[in-house]
Amino acid sequence: MRATLRDHASRAVDRIRAVAGLVESHALALGALATALVLVGVFYYPVATVFVDAIVVDGRPTIEPLVSVLTSRFYLVEIFGFTAYQAFLSTVASVALGLPGAWVLARFEFPGRETLRSLTILPFVMPSIMVAIGFVATFGQNGTLNAVLRALGLPTIELLFTLPAIVVAHAFYNAPLVARVTTAAWESVDASAIETARSLGASPVRAFRDVVLPQLLPAVAVGATLTFVFTFASFPIVLALGGFQLATVEVFIYSRIQNLAYAEAAALAVVETVISLSLTYLYLRYEGRQRAAGQGARPQPRRSLWPESVTSRELGTRLAIVGYAVVVLAVFVVPIASMILTSLTGPQGELSLRHYRFLVERQQTGAAYQVRPLPAIENSLVFGAGTLLVGVPMGVLMAVLTTRDFRGRALVDALSMAPLAVSGIVVGLGLLRGLVFGIEVFGTRITATGAVAIVAAHAVGAYPFVTRNVAPLLGNLDPRLIESARSLGASRVRALLDIELPLVAAGVVAGAAFAFAISIGEFDSTVVLAEGSTSYTMPVAVERYLGRRLGPATAMGCLLLGVTSLSFVVIERFGGRYGRGGF
Amino acid sequence: MKRRTFLRTVGAGGVAGLAGCAGGSGGGGSTSTTESATTQTQTGTTTGMAGGTPELVVATYGAFVDAPSTSPGPWIKETFESEFDATLTFATPDSEINYFIERALQGVEIDADAYVGLNVDMLIRIDDRLDDGLFADVGDVDGRGEVKDGLNFDPQGRIVPYDTSYVSLVYNETMSDDGTFTAPETFDGLLDSEYEGDLLAQNPTGSSTGKSFLLHTIKAKGPDGYLDYWQELQNNDVRVLSDWSSSYTAYSNEEAPMVVSYSTDQVYANREDQDLAKHQIRFLNDQGYAYPEGMSVFRNADNPDLAEQFLEFMLRPEVQGEIAQRNVAFPATTTAELPDDFAEYAQAPPEAVTFTYDALRDNVSEWTQAWERQFASN
Amino acid sequence: MRLTLEDVRKTYGETIALGGSEGDQPDPAAGGGANGISVDVDDGEFFTLVGPSGCGKTTTLRLVAGFEPPSAGAIRFDGESMRGVPPEDRDVGVVFQNYALFPHLSVRENVAYGLKFGDPPGGESDAERVASLLELVDLPDAGDRDPAELSGGQQQRIALARALAPGPDLLLLDEPMSALDAQLRERLRMQIKEIQSELGITTLYVTHDQEEALAISDRLAVMNGGAIEQIGTPRDVYRRPATRFVANFVGDNNVFEGPVVSIRDGREFEKTTTSVDNDRKSPDETEGSGRERMVDVDVGGTTVTVASDRRVDTGDRVVFCVRPEGMSVVGDGGDGPGTDRAGIESRARSGGDGSGTGFGDTPANVLDATVSKAEFLGESTRSHLRWNGQEVTVRSVDPLEGDVRIGFDPSAARVVETEQGRGP
Repeated sequence: MRATLRDHASRAVDRIRAVAGLVESHALALGALATALVLVGVFYYPVATVFVDAIVVDGRPTIEPLVSVLTSRFYLVEIFGFTAYQAFLSTVASVALGLPGAWVLARFEFPGRETLRSLTILPFVMPSIMVAIGFVATFGQNGTLNAVLRALGLPTIELLFTLPAIVVAHAFYNAPLVARVTTAAWESVDASAIETARSLGASPVRAFRDVVLPQLLPAVAVGATLTFVFTFASFPIVLALGGFQLATVEVFIYSRIQNLAYAEAAALAVVETVISLSLTYLYLRYEGRQRAAGQGARPQPRRSLWPESVTSRELGTRLAIVGYAVVVLAVFVVPIASMILTSLTGPQGELSLRHYRFLVERQQTGAAYQVRPLPAIENSLVFGAGTLLVGVPMGVLMAVLTTRDFRGRALVDALSMAPLAVSGIVVGLGLLRGLVFGIEVFGTRITATGAVAIVAAHAVGAYPFVTRNVAPLLGNLDPRLIESARSLGASRVRALLDIELPLVAAGVVAGAAFAFAISIGEFDSTVVLAEGSTSYTMPVAVERYLGRRLGPATAMGCLLLGVTSLSFVVIERFGGRYGRGGF
Repeated sequence: MKRRTFLRTVGAGGVAGLAGCAGGSGGGGSTSTTESATTQTQTGTTTGMAGGTPELVVATYGAFVDAPSTSPGPWIKETFESEFDATLTFATPDSEINYFIERALQGVEIDADAYVGLNVDMLIRIDDRLDDGLFADVGDVDGRGEVKDGLNFDPQGRIVPYDTSYVSLVYNETMSDDGTFTAPETFDGLLDSEYEGDLLAQNPTGSSTGKSFLLHTIKAKGPDGYLDYWQELQNNDVRVLSDWSSSYTAYSNEEAPMVVSYSTDQVYANREDQDLAKHQIRFLNDQGYAYPEGMSVFRNADNPDLAEQFLEFMLRPEVQGEIAQRNVAFPATTTAELPDDFAEYAQAPPEAVTFTYDALRDNVSEWTQAWERQFASN
Repeated sequence: MRLTLEDVRKTYGETIALGGSEGDQPDPAAGGGANGISVDVDDGEFFTLVGPSGCGKTTTLRLVAGFEPPSAGAIRFDGESMRGVPPEDRDVGVVFQNYALFPHLSVRENVAYGLKFGDPPGGESDAERVASLLELVDLPDAGDRDPAELSGGQQQRIALARALAPGPDLLLLDEPMSALDAQLRERLRMQIKEIQSELGITTLYVTHDQEEALAISDRLAVMNGGAIEQIGTPRDVYRRPATRFVANFVGDNNVFEGPVVSIRDGREFEKTTTSVDNDRKSPDETEGSGRERMVDVDVGGTTVTVASDRRVDTGDRVVFCVRPEGMSVVGDGGDGPGTDRAGIESRARSGGDGSGTGFGDTPANVLDATVSKAEFLGESTRSHLRWNGQEVTVRSVDPLEGDVRIGFDPSAARVVETEQGRGP
């Protein structure tokens, strides 16, 4: 009896092992399937429900909406042309502002460097209204900048409601992105390559140009591409700081969707997406050709921010850094400080905690149907964590799949970047149709809203960042490392977890930070999917608290800043330790 | 042969755990089974008693129930529930009435009984897209007779106005060297070079002040003249920003001395003891563009009778007074009970102007799009 | 464990990496079945794939490891087909040229990595296993170090220890010593061979270095252009190259060619259409020794006599080769025969047991040549001579210069290729 029982038990164990083994050996395929399902469910299908309006009108297929957009001088020149122009300028400005930051962060040692690097991602999560408030307070006629200029006896500047205002605001959002990815690349430049160049007679400038620059270019290119794609679809900040005469494509998509003119909205969105994705495709073709040297580089030592010797070169370098710090102060620090100041200012301009008291009060007495601060913070953090759990594996998986060489790789890769390229307004409408309203199957309507749907939507928006941070590093890994692991008995997934991921940990952590930031800052999808539930997040709360008085919204915004800053520092501190030893 | 023959416990266990993770990311399956909760979760604390107490779902815009200063929502809910044996549930979809139009277009059931916060633009969109409309003919609800003439924007009588605002200029007297800045009295006056760069307006799409101001210029300059007028306004450096919040932020920071806003501006300013010199009202051409807000009952509402009772409740003199004060607008009825000092800070225009439903239905899209194209082309 | 490759082919799109093209004749004798390659490695055997780069040797190793699936054919471990078996389930240990140590793990963690997936053999604990392997590769104290702190040779020994730790049935070594300097290479290859014989593990070794292949292998397969040219023991392959390619690739060789003018001491074979006369035929496998005949070949006007174990007819073109050490210096061109000044390294190695002239006699074939270049190799000198418009290489103890007369025995020659003529 007992023997048979043990027999049964061991057979059962064998069966479980067999199933587990099957799952393990097909884990990548299963993961890819799951990723595909999520993408289709919360992105491709919902977006398709909107895009179809561009080619099907009143049940009949037509190309009329697309043709009318593509033959309209107004749309092509005034709108798409201008949108691309401002996106180009914004990209140039973001790169120009971001690169020196990367240089300082990668090449100099100073107290708080790591924290500063963690915080560079902060602008990413800022609701546009907060940025608008900060910018008006900083760059307005009576803003801080002009006050300083006046005090110095210098002429004042008028920046608001002009193209430069938009460009600077876009740089505010995107220069940190450029700095971020470039810093990572800079830190992985092998010192011995530079030393070799120097020993061969290259001047420091020449060594930089010949050795460092080529290794930075791919990172700068990814930063620039993402910046262009983002600024191409920029919307609220353009109208808030530039005005309607500087309207972009997205402004018109919004207008048409508001007026339920779906065919035209969809046609505009399709053209917008095609342009963004084409650019992404070109970038990915370029990235595919950049396969730099392998792993195990010895990073250059960082220099102290304080000059060790007083030479003209050393002083010049420090002077340049000081100059850059002043620009950073004006573009990043003062606007953020202005937001904080606004949140602490009462109606007569006095310092006051009344807006924070409002938050406390709302938390204590708010009704169930009102937005309360603590649940918003809690939801943001939970969704952020959920996005990490879902989006990071998705992004890593996509990176693994697309670093393999196959025909059309760049195309698949570009399509996987689509969540960044499609108008947020279109995604919002698509989610409303596809998930909130759901699909009718056998007489029951299947819908998806609330936390799970929000996390899925955030993960879809976030995973391309993980992929873009991880894929180039994975591509540089020696395939024999994985083959060695596998011949030692590791399954493909095991080799990924034990060998590849620890070796590209820097990319995974950077991608995770971006993913978290995307989740925290996301608005369009969240507000649609949180409908009628208590799943609102911090940016939603900021928008809700906007009223005639800015105080409550800015107080909530500052809470958002504080919570997010803390999260980033934690993510990077925790993530930084993960490199060695694997999981 | 050991590896070929046996599966390894360690490896299998490790990855089973991961596969679990991957399953989570493939939440498509589990997501789709999530119960549709769009409007029902709002029942919140009251779900327990929903069996005995009828539930009235009122859809509205966020600020109506959740503005940081004051909003009528909580007071209405409390008062209504204390009198009627019902639970009042607010639903505040972010895309407002478009959310319900979209539901109807997609053939999805509408889970609300009444909507509060309708305007003529919304009504036109509904009637354009939906053959059967969204709302029932509410007929003669008590108190409807007291609604001021000129506020009824629905010729078919489906929508009952409950309050109105007037869009006007708000200006800052202190913004000139001698502290006596005065806004022009007419639309033409805005074109004076004296006022170059002095006006902040809003995008007509997505901003009711922006839309009202545009319509007001059409009223003043005629459908054939408004574009030329705007050309000159633009030449005089008018700023059209995204929404009321950003333009009012800029105004408060004294980026410009004039902003398109509501004629109730001083109510807030007074409430916060602000300098009223910075919140002066100007009715251009002595007119204010009326922006009435209405309410109605959804066709196929679960509780149509209760919904009609709610509409009647909203039109009661004391409720009208509360709504006006809490929503900082003017009551829709002539019988509203208001404190005496209300009129001191809430200024009504000498003449209220507006377009009729019919005039707007035929033209508003073209007018707006023509304006958008012209303004964005410069 | 016995490793069998049956008719294995690998193509990447249009490109054939392994196996002949469709139009090629099947060649079962040389390990090439229906266009694919076939190899049989015995249990405990040290088997080497040697050939120039691009010959398909590394592809073969990768197919055996399971990193890539073959396009056709079967790979069997002890008769069991490996089709669809992933690398982790094959029980193979792989060592790569660039070591491929996991840079984020210590030496100990590297060696222990494979033990995560199964118990070490022989009932040892993981820690004991790691210690004994580090002992085996002579680096007992390296456990706590980072791979990057070790020299190339040390890293390669760690890679070997890591591959052996789980007790694999088959060891695959892919050019493991190419990145190391010459001295280290020789030391390490002896160490590898020692470890291999000690463990008795079946080993497939890939190298482009024929000298290494000869030194280390039990048997080897010479590969070229995706096909196997010859399989045999090092001695056999060296002494009896089956093809012109093998003759040229394995060791120094002098290759001559010309038509057969006469055949002595042998009978003429009747030509039939079913003749299996084949360039690549290995005599040991198809014909007995002692069937060879003396064949006179006209090499650029000079008639030389070679012993052939292949069927040739008068008028056939033959290619034959003579090792440099098979050449002896007879005298300075014009001098009488008999002075064996150069001394022949080892006559026993150079010829067969055929009907050549005896040791010490004047070789049957005498060539008058001129020295063009000489390389001093230490124990001998390699001289490059011009003869009859072609180069001839000779090894001698003393350096040569000027005009020399060299000779070789018919048995020192080896026919590696024949082409049918028009018949007698």
